[in-house]
Amino acid sequence: MKRRLPWWLGGILMALLLLFTFSIFGGNRPLGASTYVPYYAGILFGMHPADYTYLTKVENPGAWEGVMLLGTFLGGLVTSIFITKTFRFTIMPTGWKVYKNNSVLSRVIWSFFAGFFLILGARLAGGCTSGHILSGMTQTAFSSMIFGASVIITLLITGKLFYKKGETK
Amino acid sequence: MSIGEYFSFVASRTEDMYNIVQNEGHGSFFIVLMIGVVFGAIIQYTRVDKFEKIAGFAMLKDTVVPKMLFLAIGIASIGLYAEIQLGYASYHIKPLIIGGLIIGGILFGASMAILGKCPGTGPVSISEGRIDVLIGAIGGIFGAFFFTKYYDSFFKILAGKSHGNESLINVSGDYGAIMVLLFGIALIVFAIMIPHRELLDEADLSQLEADERAEIESNGKFEIIK
Repeated sequence: MKRRLPWWLGGILMALLLLFTFSIFGGNRPLGASTYVPYYAGILFGMHPADYTYLTKVENPGAWEGVMLLGTFLGGLVTSIFITKTFRFTIMPTGWKVYKNNSVLSRVIWSFFAGFFLILGARLAGGCTSGHILSGMTQTAFSSMIFGASVIITLLITGKLFYKKGETK
Repeated sequence: MSIGEYFSFVASRTEDMYNIVQNEGHGSFFIVLMIGVVFGAIIQYTRVDKFEKIAGFAMLKDTVVPKMLFLAIGIASIGLYAEIQLGYASYHIKPLIIGGLIIGGILFGASMAILGKCPGTGPVSISEGRIDVLIGAIGGIFGAFFFTKYYDSFFKILAGKSHGNESLINVSGDYGAIMVLLFGIALIVFAIMIPHRELLDEADLSQLEADERAEIESNGKFEIIK
């Protein structure tokens, strides 16, 4: 069995999944993957939804994405063990070692803060790569196009400034 | 709250999560779970959860993510329009909040380049054992806590008010069908035309058959790192 799919097959499958999710046979809603984070944060920090307007606001979509996330984790786990055979505990990505530095501490600290601002940014905009870029642009939404452009431009600038040239093999 | 109260709170909120999804009418618990399973499997199977894929795109050394993303959007935009015309789906457009979209996009884009993940690919990375991403997710939980806590007093105002839920299809009126067709085809063509580059490490190469590996190693557009 092949251990990785080409990009075009991944794109076609992702389009089919989006169409199923949008349809009344699936979720009758867009696919999204960042509303679950405040939902889970509310649970973990013992916050009652009644006390926070934002938690009340995300109560239903957060639950939906919370369940979807469990599936995503499960789907990733099963695929990584049985198909791609990539499951192993690691802390340092090869690319970070080559293009940034060799320090585990540096990777961990940057990861924490990048995670922090990643979710802050997604919540500020009302969506992420899945909810805004994939699902939103599929609906030709102007909001999602603005978000997508803002993300891609900043991503490329950060990539240029943050990483060094690195030595390839 | 005490530890006992905390655990019963977590348990009751988890039960709520199940009940909301099961009764909300956006697919049963099982369907929603399966949407997630397929989503996670596609991300893992195409390897776009790897640091080298998103951070590699930020460095313009890997174009698998934009190629896959734009192809999926191109196909799905045309497909969704058809679904809606047939009465099998409807649009759910997110509000146009200029401040939130631009500031949020800047924070999101910079973080995505550094973490090398987005909120959809992150959980898949964690599920294959990546501890650095787990720490990123803990950061994300704190980010969401901070956002929730200061939503009314700060973030809601920063995001600004909504300028409606317009889309290209909406504003095209009678020409909606033609516009979505042009939009979809343009994105599909764009996805195919983006030069195919990849940033691969030894683990990626070990996944390939011998002939595929030889082909990639001799391809100048693919960068191999150790």
